[in-house]
Amino acid sequence: MKHLKSFNKKAKMLDQTTSPDQVEEVVAMQSVVGCTSTNDPGWEVDPFGGLGSLCQPMESDLYGCADACWWPAQVPDTMSNYPDWSQDVSKANEDWRKLDGIFPEEQK
Amino acid sequence: MNNNKSKHALLSVSALALIGAMLTPAVSWATDGETVIQEKCLSCHTRTGNPDAPYSRISEQRKTPEGWQMTLHRMQLRNGLVLSSEETQAVIRYLSDEQGLAPSETAPFRYVLEQKPNIVEDVDPAYAEMCSRCHSNARFGLQRRTEGEWKELVNTHMAIHPTTELHALARDRRWYDIALNETAPKLAMDYAFNDAAWKKWQTMARPALQGSWSVSGFMPGKGDYSAILTAVKIADDKYSVTMIGHYSDGSELRGNGTANVFSGYEWRAGLMLDGVSVRQVLAASEDGSSLTGRMYQSAHDEIGGDLNAVSGNAIVGLSPSALKQGETSRVTISGAYLKGSVNLGAGVKVLKVLSRDADRIVVEAKASASAAVGMRDVSVGGTKAKALLAVYDSVATIQVSPPQSLARIGGNGGKIPKVQSTYRALAFSAGADGKPGTDDDMRLGYMPASWSLKPQNEVAEEDRDLEFAGTIDSNGIFTPGDTGLNPQRKMSTNNVGMLKVVASVKDGNNTIEGESDLLVAVPSYIKRAIQ
Repeated sequence: MKHLKSFNKKAKMLDQTTSPDQVEEVVAMQSVVGCTSTNDPGWEVDPFGGLGSLCQPMESDLYGCADACWWPAQVPDTMSNYPDWSQDVSKANEDWRKLDGIFPEEQK
Repeated sequence: MNNNKSKHALLSVSALALIGAMLTPAVSWATDGETVIQEKCLSCHTRTGNPDAPYSRISEQRKTPEGWQMTLHRMQLRNGLVLSSEETQAVIRYLSDEQGLAPSETAPFRYVLEQKPNIVEDVDPAYAEMCSRCHSNARFGLQRRTEGEWKELVNTHMAIHPTTELHALARDRRWYDIALNETAPKLAMDYAFNDAAWKKWQTMARPALQGSWSVSGFMPGKGDYSAILTAVKIADDKYSVTMIGHYSDGSELRGNGTANVFSGYEWRAGLMLDGVSVRQVLAASEDGSSLTGRMYQSAHDEIGGDLNAVSGNAIVGLSPSALKQGETSRVTISGAYLKGSVNLGAGVKVLKVLSRDADRIVVEAKASASAAVGMRDVSVGGTKAKALLAVYDSVATIQVSPPQSLARIGGNGGKIPKVQSTYRALAFSAGADGKPGTDDDMRLGYMPASWSLKPQNEVAEEDRDLEFAGTIDSNGIFTPGDTGLNPQRKMSTNNVGMLKVVASVKDGNNTIEGESDLLVAVPSYIKRAIQ
């Protein structure tokens, strides 16, 4: 590895995430209740404990998360449980205000 | 599916699922709940013929009221179960009472029932990759199942969330074998269905919760408060609740509502408190002498604080909880039925009693310049509280609580509200060794602070997170930025960011600072009773 040089920003970030302090930080943020620890690429934080490698703005790729049931605790999965969640909103990056949350424990 | 209403309304109504049925007549819940199960659930579930576990699947699980609530909802969403609100509540009550969790079983995970934000869990590695990539440890830690039922849960996940296998790292390991043959048996050991704690709890006398409670607590934006909570029984395990008291600035606190008690000790109350809808999620101690937990705004569960209640005559709190040598200060002693003279310990003189109310006494007190550093017992007449007041020489360190926190962008005309985050400054003196950060440091309690933000790292500075991610007010309440695309940011990035929250506390002529990390993240579109 010592003969390899970070070429782009992402590679430089990878190099920079090896200090113990940063590892602790990443672990802590991933463990806050309510956050996913599937950081591929991550919903709250990216694999490096930052925000730079997230899909941003998230609305541009939101349905890529929903259709694939990728973060089922944060994003409604339209594959199985909530097929109608986004049916009236064809473009999330334009009509994100129309998207509602799922609060399933409501009882009438 | 309920995806067409605002979170504000939904959370309020969600709370009613457990605190509700306020208008329903007193009935025999146990009989009703079991009858509903027999009439509505046995079209899929079957009678086993075993009197110890009469219904398939159902009888081999134990859960909290919130856990049963989630199960019933899933049955309605996916499996065609149709229940009225009254039937739902009867079943939740019946199952919570007959197949609930003992106080000792819920103790490690109460934060999730209390909706306490910014909890960092220490998850067993055996569960971290299999379960906690989506769930909190509390989600499965608050369930008790037979081994067969834990295995069925693996299969349920495959049916409902097929991408479970990717989350469980199926690309790199035989996850299904591990889940069935290692994780499920471990869950059956760690969270066993047949646990002596529940059997013992079922035979114990239930705490009597009717009567007056002396309450102390904290509410962000309002500060410390004291109150008398009165519970009047209106049906089995159902109480009419009133709270009357004061915030530490002297303003009045007044509220009323209804509480339901599940499993003999799980207090779930909904009150209108000074015009704001709030919830109380409390646990009664086994002997019925205390209620502890959290009270929070129904529409913003992140806005809340700890609540402690003690039955009858008691001192339950002190604000502030520390006096500096030579300092004169107003001190509020919270408690009920406090009569007699106030004693704040050696070297601390009560100069004047400023007011006496049912819920508190306010005094002006002075710690002498030569008062010994250390903790003092506090007494009012014959009522005493141990080690409640600290006398200190100087503030050595400030810890910002919570040390790790999360806020979520929202609002901006959309349907997902912002999730705020609240902070307090916890002070310590250096103790006898004069060195901060050692075991003999003395906890001084929470102190007033001025609040500010700064970028967490170089990337946050370069991306101008401070400018976009949100603001913090003088009460230590952080409000995140608007949701949606922001064309002012690179690539129209959302107003997410990584910040540090800074508390500055004055101690004489010195200012002591503490910091904690704050992540401002995108919204969560899903909110569950147990995350």
